[in-house]
Formats: sequence, C-alpha cells, structure tokens
Amino acid sequence: MARAAHPHAMKPNAPERTRTAPPVMPAEFPLAGRYRTYTIFGATGLLYLLMGFVALRVVWALGSGEAAWLEIQRQLASPGYLAFHAVCLAAVIFVGVRFFRLFPKAQPAKIGPVKPPPRPILHAMLYAAWIAVAGGLALVLAGGIF
Amino acid sequence: MRHPLLPFEPLIWLLFGAGIMVGTMLMTGWLLVVGVAAPLGMVPADALAFERAHALGSSLVGRLVLLAIVALPLWKGAHHTRHLVIDTFGADRDAIVAPLLYLVAAAGSLLAIVAVLRIPA
Repeated sequence: MARAAHPHAMKPNAPERTRTAPPVMPAEFPLAGRYRTYTIFGATGLLYLLMGFVALRVVWALGSGEAAWLEIQRQLASPGYLAFHAVCLAAVIFVGVRFFRLFPKAQPAKIGPVKPPPRPILHAMLYAAWIAVAGGLALVLAGGIF
Repeated sequence: MRHPLLPFEPLIWLLFGAGIMVGTMLMTGWLLVVGVAAPLGMVPADALAFERAHALGSSLVGRLVLLAIVALPLWKGAHHTRHLVIDTFGADRDAIVAPLLYLVAAAGSLLAIVAVLRIPA
C-alpha cells in the first residue's frame, strides 16, 4: 500500500533563492493581437489629460467674461478642435464600453455582508447610469431642459 | 526601495476610479455638445450663449459638475499614462514619471477649483 506523501518531500536540502524565469516582452506587445486593445485603452490616458485641460480652458473663459467666452467658442469651431473632440468622443465611448464590461468581473464575491448584484444586472446598471448622466448633461447643455 | 507614492496609492486609485467612471460619463455628454454638436451648429444658437452658460455654470451644482468635468479626467489620464509608460519603457523611471504625472493632474485640479470659483455669481 502506498504511503501518504511527505509534505516536505520536495524541499531543497539547503535554503536557496527562488529561481524565476527572466521577464520577456510578449511578441505581440504593443499593437498586435489582444495587446492592441489593451495598449489603446492605456493610451486614452493621454487624451483624457488633454481633454481635461481643454475643458479647463473653456471653464476659465466662462469666468473671464463674454468676450473670452465668444473667443473660445470660435476656437472650438475650428477644424483642429473639432477633429480633436471627435477623436476624444470616440475614445471616451471606447473607455466606457471596455471599463463597464470589466467592472462587473472585478467585483468581490461579497462586500461585507452584502453580495453585489449579478454581473449582467451590474453591467446594465452601469449603462443606465451612463445614458442618464451623459444624456442628461447633453440635454441641459443643448438647451433641451433648464 | 519603497516607492515614494506608496502612501498616496489609495487616494490616487480613488481619484482614478472616479475619473474613469464619473469622468467618462460626464465627458461623453460634454464632448457631444460642447466639443462637436455646438461647433457644428447642431444645437440651438442660444443654448451655449454667454448668459445661459453663465447661469448654468454659476450655480452650485453647475460649479461642481464643471469641476468634475475638468478634474476627474485628469486623474484617469495621469494614472493610465503612468501605466502606459511602465508597460512600454519599464518601471525603472516610475519613481520620477509617476509623481510628475500626478503633479500635473493635481495642478490641473487646483486650477479647476480656481476656475469654477472665479465664475461670477
């Protein structure tokens, strides 16, 4: 009859450094295969930094009076700004779709005594909040309400 | 060596999380109207006229929303740019790059606070 394995049967005779394989950059990094989406997701950080500072310019102009406000509106209508904002809008939607898909998977099984909602429900709730916040803000800014 | 930003990681992650979640939601509406539709003339001309924009932006809720629209994307941007740099060039310079990026986000956030406070009531 076989004996139970000794728990330290594979232990080295003397303590030694844990051997690890040297890190190797995956062949597909940064823009091939599944790394493409990952890298683009990270690169949206640069756009978020830029769009934050452009928004700061707009808010600053609002506090500077009507002339500054009209001037920033004129600048925002230039082809360069329009193209930039169109790219930013695509980036923001890309980030939202990817992040809101990842978010439910990243939840712990329990938060204290409370279990988070099932993943599809959480996913749907995030989209509902996104539509409500973005749609509400767009309606206010476009003069649809208030 | 202990990373200099280690004590601030919870705050950084909080702001990053708010940036990617709330910032993305708000930025979608902002870009749609202020960045694209209004410059293309797709919204009524008086929607973003100075008087109306001022009335919206000078209220308490308006100031808070404008602050979030400016500041939160900066933190998402700084954190993701940090990790893009780590992924692409390695973590050797992270002790310099990360504080630099978060300083940019912090400076932008402070300027955002000043910007919303200087909108006349």
